[in-house]
Amino acid sequence: MDAIMVEGLSKQYGKVVALRDLNLTVAEGVVFGLLGPNGAGKSTLIKALVGALTPSSGKARVLGLDPLRDQRDLRRRIGYMPQEPALYSDLSARENIAFFARAHDLPNLEGCVDDVLTLTDLGDRADDPVRTFSGGMQRRVSLACALAHRPRVLFLDEPTAAVDPVLRARFWRTFREMATTGVTLFISTHLMDEALLCDQVAVVRAGETVITGPPKEILDLGKTRLTFHRGAAVERQTIGGHPEDLAAALHARGLAAEVTAIEIERDTLEAVIFGLIAPQEQENHG
Amino acid sequence: MIHTLGVARRVLTQLVHDRRLLALSVAAPLVIIYLLKLFLDTMPPGFDVARYAVPIAAFLVHFLAFLLCAIVLVQERTEGTLARMLINGYRRPEILGGYLLGYLGLATLQAIAALTEVLVLFKLSYSAGILIALFIVVWLLAIASVMLGIFISTFARNAAQVFPFIPLVILPSVFLSGLLVDVTRLPHWAQVLGHLLPLFYANQVIQVLIGPNGSLDARSGDVAVLVAYSLVLLLVASRTLAEAE
Repeated sequence: MDAIMVEGLSKQYGKVVALRDLNLTVAEGVVFGLLGPNGAGKSTLIKALVGALTPSSGKARVLGLDPLRDQRDLRRRIGYMPQEPALYSDLSARENIAFFARAHDLPNLEGCVDDVLTLTDLGDRADDPVRTFSGGMQRRVSLACALAHRPRVLFLDEPTAAVDPVLRARFWRTFREMATTGVTLFISTHLMDEALLCDQVAVVRAGETVITGPPKEILDLGKTRLTFHRGAAVERQTIGGHPEDLAAALHARGLAAEVTAIEIERDTLEAVIFGLIAPQEQENHG
Repeated sequence: MIHTLGVARRVLTQLVHDRRLLALSVAAPLVIIYLLKLFLDTMPPGFDVARYAVPIAAFLVHFLAFLLCAIVLVQERTEGTLARMLINGYRRPEILGGYLLGYLGLATLQAIAALTEVLVLFKLSYSAGILIALFIVVWLLAIASVMLGIFISTFARNAAQVFPFIPLVILPSVFLSGLLVDVTRLPHWAQVLGHLLPLFYANQVIQVLIGPNGSLDARSGDVAVLVAYSLVLLLVASRTLAEAE
């Protein structure tokens, strides 16, 4: 069974179309990245999947459950970390985590709270008010709130936005570790380089899916620029992004003794994704 | 019920942590009542101070409970904690019940402080039965205020937008509830409007309670309206406590 299934999902706010006939599936235990620029509909899709809004049309299932009809059953199985910290600043990290976890009627609430405090490395500041925390620490508390009840599917809305590189790396290490335990992670981000850390990605633009697949396959859609140095002479060639394209180009040219150096410049994933998004962007503005 | 108590506990913990807010919430009615005392001291001898002082104490609790609840609920919406509560599995009636219990705790503290100051400053004395009845009326009014605050918060996108509702909701209460003038002397439409305000019924009951041979039974109809008012607002508030779309 797929952890997440979305079929023809649309959401319209008056004349504004936030999601347009969106389709995707996410297998269990994978880290799925939802990529797209700000305003692409990422948060709207996550809200539809956690049952926080009613879609205009289409179907969504999480662990086989309807996010609206099976709200109660589903909410025990999912965790949600919103884009904003969504914490009570007067309360401590422990009080915040315990408050949101209490909704799940956990048999060992205190133990679960201690576990996530350790996992997010907040043990030392657990009893300090959240208002005294840095932005990064607040993100960690927010993540801990989403994890305390040990959800099977975790929805993270831009968890690494405005987070320093060290904490970002630590977050991704935690996400990858969780995926090894069978948890499905559905992560939205506008940071294209984070796509490489996912097992599967979907690129969305203006509420529509532009492409879905493993990041490596998307990377292969890019171009590779070769620069051959033959003594003082320089020759340039642009080929496809597949490794086979490189082999073919080298075979065609042969590696003659006068070739003194070859520079290979591959499109980054960000460039490939931007290339996919840009034509649509021009279409929308044209 | 456990979830309702959990929300109430969280609201009270926040209030306890925010000592400045707690202190100001209790001190503000006390200062205003003292200023009222200075004002009423200028009235000619024989002026019935109790007629104004006791309902004004109830009004202050009503006003502060409404204002605090409306602002805090708007904050819950704008900061995303309300959506997070709902997505985590707290249900709307549990959230409303928790807010009600939490702010009723604060309203009780305010009511005790304000009514005690009124009794001491204006040298008023009532039987234990009348005092209990007065507390019940103030409590009922506070419940309506909390629900009104939650309802009004639906129409505000940020805390600043709550403020225009203060003159719209609170000042008509002062003018049309019989607190300052006899409502029968108002135009008919204004009387009808007055009957839509919870303070009207609270004032009616309070005036009877502090009068000679006062008893709650005499105005049981008004008490019932106050209860019904709270229940209707509870229903409306639970419907308007929409999830973040």
